Amino acid sequence: MLCFPDSAAMPPVMSQISDPNIAFAYLRPACVQLTKHPSVTNVETLSGQLKDINDATLQQLQEYVLFPLRFVLKVPGPKKEKLVQAVAETISFVLENTCVQSWDALRDLFSELCLCLCCPADPGRPAEVSEELKLALVGCLDALLHAAYGDIVFRLFESTMLPGLGAAVSLLLALREKEKSRDLQRAALKCIQTLTLQCDCAQEHLAPSPDQRCSVGDTMASFLPGITTTVTRIITGDLRQGHTVTVRAIKVWSMTVALVMEDAQLRSRKTLQPVPAELGRIGQLVVQRTPDWVKSTAGKLSVLLKKIISCTSAHLHWRVRLELVGLAERLLASCSRSLSECVGPLLEVLVGAVNDEEPRVRERSEAALTQVSRRSQSCSSSAQTFSDVLSENLHSLATSLPRLMRTSDDQKKLFVLKVFLGYLKVLGPLVSVVLNSAAHLERISKALMQVLELDVTDVRIVEERSHSAAAERSYHAHVQRKHFLYFTDEKIFCALMEICRTLGYHGDIYLLTDQFLDLYRRSSAYRKQAAMVLNEVIRGAAGISVAAGLGHEGPPTSREDLKAAAVSVMEEYTSLNNWHLITASEETDRDRDRDRDRDRDRRDQQLLSSSRLLSISSSDVITASSASLPASSTSVRIQQLNSNIWQLCIQLEGVACFAQALERDFRPLLMTSLYPVLEKAGEETLLVSQAALNAMADISEACGYSSLQELINQNSDYLLNDISLNLQRLSQHPQAPRVLAVMLTHSDCSLLPLVGDIVQDVLTSLDVSYNRSAALFCTLLQALMKALVRWFPAAPSRTNISARSSSAQKELCIRQFLLEYRKQRELSEGVGIEEDDAADLEAPPPAEYEAVRDAGGPDVKAELPLHLSVTKEVMERCVHLMSDPDLRLRLKVLDLVELCVLVLSEREDELLPMAHRCWPALLQRLTADDPLAVLRAFRVLCTLGETCGDFLRRRVSKEVLPKLSRSLSRQAPVSARAGPVYTHSLAYKLQLAVLQGLGSLCQRLDLGEADLDAVCEACLPYLSCRQPIRLQEAGLSVFQHLIQVDPDTFWFTLNELHCPSPYTPPHPDLRPVQLGGMGRPRDEYSDNVLKLLREEFGSPSEALDPPRLG
Amino acid sequence: MAHPAPSPIYCLRGAGGPLNTLHFCCRGTDAPLLFSGSAKGTIHMWNLNTRRPEETFEAHGGSSILWVRTLWSADSLISQGRDMQVCLWDLRGGSGQAVDSVFTGSFGFCQCSLIETDQTKSLLAFATEQSDEIKIIEIPSKTTVCSLVPETKLGMVMCLKLWQPDSGPGPLLLAGYEDGSLLLWNVTQRSELSQVKAHPEPVMCLTFDPQRLRGISGSAETKLSSWILDSQNNIQLQESVELVNPGVSQLCIRADGKLLASAGWDHRVRIFGWKKLRPLAVLQYHTDMVLSVAFSDPLDPRQRLLAAGSKDQRISLWSIYNEGAATG
Repeated sequence: MLCFPDSAAMPPVMSQISDPNIAFAYLRPACVQLTKHPSVTNVETLSGQLKDINDATLQQLQEYVLFPLRFVLKVPGPKKEKLVQAVAETISFVLENTCVQSWDALRDLFSELCLCLCCPADPGRPAEVSEELKLALVGCLDALLHAAYGDIVFRLFESTMLPGLGAAVSLLLALREKEKSRDLQRAALKCIQTLTLQCDCAQEHLAPSPDQRCSVGDTMASFLPGITTTVTRIITGDLRQGHTVTVRAIKVWSMTVALVMEDAQLRSRKTLQPVPAELGRIGQLVVQRTPDWVKSTAGKLSVLLKKIISCTSAHLHWRVRLELVGLAERLLASCSRSLSECVGPLLEVLVGAVNDEEPRVRERSEAALTQVSRRSQSCSSSAQTFSDVLSENLHSLATSLPRLMRTSDDQKKLFVLKVFLGYLKVLGPLVSVVLNSAAHLERISKALMQVLELDVTDVRIVEERSHSAAAERSYHAHVQRKHFLYFTDEKIFCALMEICRTLGYHGDIYLLTDQFLDLYRRSSAYRKQAAMVLNEVIRGAAGISVAAGLGHEGPPTSREDLKAAAVSVMEEYTSLNNWHLITASEETDRDRDRDRDRDRDRRDQQLLSSSRLLSISSSDVITASSASLPASSTSVRIQQLNSNIWQLCIQLEGVACFAQALERDFRPLLMTSLYPVLEKAGEETLLVSQAALNAMADISEACGYSSLQELINQNSDYLLNDISLNLQRLSQHPQAPRVLAVMLTHSDCSLLPLVGDIVQDVLTSLDVSYNRSAALFCTLLQALMKALVRWFPAAPSRTNISARSSSAQKELCIRQFLLEYRKQRELSEGVGIEEDDAADLEAPPPAEYEAVRDAGGPDVKAELPLHLSVTKEVMERCVHLMSDPDLRLRLKVLDLVELCVLVLSEREDELLPMAHRCWPALLQRLTADDPLAVLRAFRVLCTLGETCGDFLRRRVSKEVLPKLSRSLSRQAPVSARAGPVYTHSLAYKLQLAVLQGLGSLCQRLDLGEADLDAVCEACLPYLSCRQPIRLQEAGLSVFQHLIQVDPDTFWFTLNELHCPSPYTPPHPDLRPVQLGGMGRPRDEYSDNVLKLLREEFGSPSEALDPPRLG
Repeated sequence: MAHPAPSPIYCLRGAGGPLNTLHFCCRGTDAPLLFSGSAKGTIHMWNLNTRRPEETFEAHGGSSILWVRTLWSADSLISQGRDMQVCLWDLRGGSGQAVDSVFTGSFGFCQCSLIETDQTKSLLAFATEQSDEIKIIEIPSKTTVCSLVPETKLGMVMCLKLWQPDSGPGPLLLAGYEDGSLLLWNVTQRSELSQVKAHPEPVMCLTFDPQRLRGISGSAETKLSSWILDSQNNIQLQESVELVNPGVSQLCIRADGKLLASAGWDHRVRIFGWKKLRPLAVLQYHTDMVLSVAFSDPLDPRQRLLAAGSKDQRISLWSIYNEGAATG
């Protein structure tokens, strides 16, 4: 190890002495003084002067200067530590700046330093001196080795030097082990490194020739066991020792092993030289690196190596992991033959580090792997072994994977998976070769199947129901996390999915899909896992989310192959057996129906829930449905349902994955795939419908549609075709109406022309199967009508207008009233005629409309807009269905009628005939039906009242009002007396509904005085404070509406009941006002009457006069 | 009857009118195509892979399209409309361009008949303004080859079938007339070869199988009449088939000569074995008169399709008897 003292590292200082003579003269006194009186001061004087000497000059005076220093060390007897330390530091300084040219000097100095370092009694142990001293001595030793000039350093490694060298090595190792100081530990390790001529410091080092390296290797072979075991102990020892020490130790270990076990050396050493006889006992120390020795050593080393790897591969500090990668790289590069049994673990290190979180580690290991694979490819025989080793490792890892995933902790699982992934990445294109081996494929797929097993015990998943209203238009609402049996960490799942993708990326897509489809078909236990794997394999084959790894470009699978694979998998997914899975038991089905009814009508809901609270609290219901079965089978059944749900979700995800993989090429496949997805979007199980919605969103994105709506609109022809065909075979395809409903929910009116066509089909099939599937169709028609209401919002209805005008009325003052009155009179007398004409001119549309009609031909009636004609058709059916014996169906139909009325309201000439047609049936519902139906029918009546207005007046006043008022009056005393439970009764709901609707109905229909009186009479009892509070509120609302119609009458009526203040006339000539309610004590009506008077007519104290002058 | 009634594999919607004529073109194009002509004057070119119209052109000024056919390996399309025009369309380069037209003068419903004599020339037979006259021209030159008028009064020409016999010099023409007669014309000699009264009602449609020299014709009644040409080119009536409901719009024989399809006024397509005229299937889907039927002839016989166009504005596509086992 040569160092050049005057190298650029130490630029000469100008003031330094460069003349040897002057220098000699300068240094001489100090040297002499030191020899005579060895003391710290003298040493320091010398060392101070040395700094003034030029390096080249110092080189000439080196021996002279070193002499006194060495003399100090050599003097027998105890010495002061400080002195020895100062001497060692000074020697270091000299050696750092000069070089040792003679072997004798080197040898002597080496042994002197070693002697100082060791304990005088026991040469194997370090001396009991201060750490500083030891540090100085080790530093000095290091400097000495660096200072050795030219080849002389190699003489250190001659056989004769073995004992001395050995002593030094063991001393250094002992130092490392015994000492606490990290600096010292590090220095000792570095010194060993220097001793093996593999220093990595900044100075320049002599590159040994192969022969020289070989001889060094020979010598170090003797110390290999010692060094390796000790250093292994260091590495695997205390975790707290700091990463620098560990890093250095790993370096020493790997370099020493790489030196001794180097393939190049072992190969070149064909013949063994006999141990020279003159060595005597030393000869026993000489190690011959025979093949046997190599083999046994390799065995021992591999034990140590495994220890090191297991200890450091998941080390927390990245530098340690980086160094481990370095170790693996170094040993694979130089000793892959001699340490053949270590190649596996070493590769595993590299492979595991490929997915390290620290990029530097990742890069280094990737580079190392690239080199390894390049090296192995350069010579064919080793390429074979390399990939063999990799595939062998992969196989064994796959074998142990399920066990590891069951037993180890998450951290370890993740690491194992990363290693697995690393193998796939390193194998790269060879993956397909590996998978061609049936054993491998089987092993890997089985491992994935076992690891990915889902936990299907969660009951909530089965319970959760989507309510059409809630699920509407909430894409990507939430993606339910999958629960696995063997792990919980999401990262592990991601790693597994990446493994699948990588398999797909590198493997043969047909082989993989065949294999996993086979598993999918073979057993229901594997079905979900196989589907998950298939999804990711196909994504991976398209190159999605695959880290391309070690320089492979582009996915190797062609688009055609990918498409064929995706199609075959999708066909399997959507085949009848795998797609139409039961996700809810029939019992819950029926409940769900009730649930939906409930949702639609809160009033019903409370009513129903009183009897069937918490109807779907799982086990309850299911046991009810299968009461004869033992309890265990119930839970099995739930698990089966849960499993079905998950299978559907995964398959839906799969369809989305295929879309992502094929992108625009997926568009033709929409022909077959969109319908099944929509079918599931209409499913009641929340998880499934959400998965389907997510899948739809993914598909529309992948296929380049801007929105889900566009996806549906653009492909409505495909969807409607399937729907129309399936509607004709409803018994086999009961989901067809549901798909249409989903389409309608997610689309807009541009769909209408095509839908119009289908609605004919729907109505036709409804007509032929009234009894069987009317309920199903009603749901569909309801979706249709809802969509129509949404697409064609009625022009601001009269409700709103009149509401506005009525609110304005409140602010009318007498003055305005008079102005209005005068205007009306002028108009009636003909003063405002011109204005009238103008108003007429402003409204020419009817005439124009007439003209358009005429243009169409004399007897051709203008074609009705499609949505109206559809609505008419639907309403036509409702007329019949309204008297269906099934109550639930009647309720549905009533809802439907309400929607129809809303749509038709835009064209009165169409609405009124229809209203007329359905009146008898509606009346029947209102007067002679189940209270629930009455309730619903009354709401329809209110809607009709709002839209048809006075058209209904006579009918209502003749046929409906008397009955309603009668029942209200009859019930009033009952409800006034009833306890709190009464609010749960049907009678209460009925009262409430009628009262809530009655007011607006009266106002809308503009009823006559007699009718109003009847209503007023019937409702007055509900102003009593003894009535349930909500009935009171509803009663108040009736009066509020009545007051809008005829304020004066009702002011009077109210005041007759209770008059809060005496009305004193403003002038004594006027007679005092006498009202029936005056001076009456407060009674049950007072509060509400006062409230009405206050709110509708202003504060009673201020209202000195009736609000209007008649 | 062991099998449940088949359902169409797909329905093409959006034609916007009753579909008078259908024509498959499965060879020489990227994707198999189906051309349809509607009563509202629209010609659709349906791509059978995407099952969507690839091209739509408004033709004949909105009057009903009677007949469409591709020419010269799908480069051109020829269409006949009730505006008394026959138009030639260039299909190359995307959008269809009307390149030529011939005035027929016919106000009837008789569809043209066409044979391609060589790569560039074709013969087209059509009815003219004299309702019993048939004119044959050569296209694209539009030179009149001959004009055929029967010696006796047979009424309007109802349907035509032009074909080139394997033996014999020139093309022959079969024509059905309003009084129910069938006439066989020799085009080169401009002579009537044979005449037979096949139906009491007008002949609505006829089709002919040149391999077996056998044909069949339909009328407004419940009977299909089959007949053969003997070696002297005489039409000889053979057995007839009784239908449940009267009225047939069109008849079509599959290219392999195994199936015959009829487009019924009773909304149904009926399938017969062509050899023995054994009824095989009734295809029920449409909700109005079926106006046209056509068989496709792709290279792979498993992808053969039957298309039926109806007055209900839909085209139904059926995949039937493609295995080869059940054909009569």
